[in-house]
Amino acid sequence: MAIARFAALPGTVLPEGAFVISPEEDRLVREIVGEASSSTGRAHPLWAFIATQRGIGTSVAELCALADFDVADGPKMAGWNATFTGELLTGYSYRVTGEVTDIVRKRGKSGLFDLMTFVERLVDEDARAVVTTTTTFVLPRKNH
Amino acid sequence: MLEAGTDFEPWVVESVDDAAIRSFSYVLADPNPIHLDAGAVQAMGLGDRVINQGPAGIGYLMNMLRASAKDVEIEEFNVSLWALIFAGDRVVARGHIDDVESANGKSRYYCSLWLEVEGRRAIEGTATILTAESKELSNDR
Repeated sequence: MAIARFAALPGTVLPEGAFVISPEEDRLVREIVGEASSSTGRAHPLWAFIATQRGIGTSVAELCALADFDVADGPKMAGWNATFTGELLTGYSYRVTGEVTDIVRKRGKSGLFDLMTFVERLVDEDARAVVTTTTTFVLPRKNH
Repeated sequence: MLEAGTDFEPWVVESVDDAAIRSFSYVLADPNPIHLDAGAVQAMGLGDRVINQGPAGIGYLMNMLRASAKDVEIEEFNVSLWALIFAGDRVVARGHIDDVESANGKSRYYCSLWLEVEGRRAIEGTATILTAESKELSNDR
């Protein structure tokens, strides 16, 4: 990857999107993570991760491609932070915004890798972020 | 009632389900082969079973917090992911209350949490949760 492009990545605004958490998918997510309680209009807080990832206007593969990384090479999650400032509701359309905030190249026991960090938020109709997330992906550079 | 120093009731997943991992890939719209194809995991030298999604582990930790009282609100959640979790692994979400503040009819609990897999910590972090004082956290589930 060109050094200049790598250095320019922080600050890259991700394409905006929108997302509705459906009650059916909320039930499925509760089942996947083993929570017996049923959906009552308030979504499981794990949707802070899911809705931002799915709702932002770019796929995981496209996000990885920004750093010249092929999703088939197996990105992994290194860290996640969420600040909740409102309730996550099912059936409500949230605007999803975000940007890349950092990318750092490191060398570990398993070789060279990049740590790519991005911020995403779910925004309500009053332009208020109900949750802001910060996600860091590990991108192993297997050919280095 | 929980207070500073009290442990949460552990949240146990006896065996991470292969089918749940596949379903979660669908929900996440995540084509990463490490969650779908044990052969891909093997080719990467990571193991011989599909790998659970990191957010699933986060979900187990959130469940532990949410099970501690009715209407628990998570205010802040911050974790680092240290190790992979594979299909078939037994995982245990654990945590304890580090500090408690009460104000304006709400109690705010500052918590440490971690996810154990085979005796090691795969995920580790902190959370701040809120509950109405009339619904203070309890281990009497």
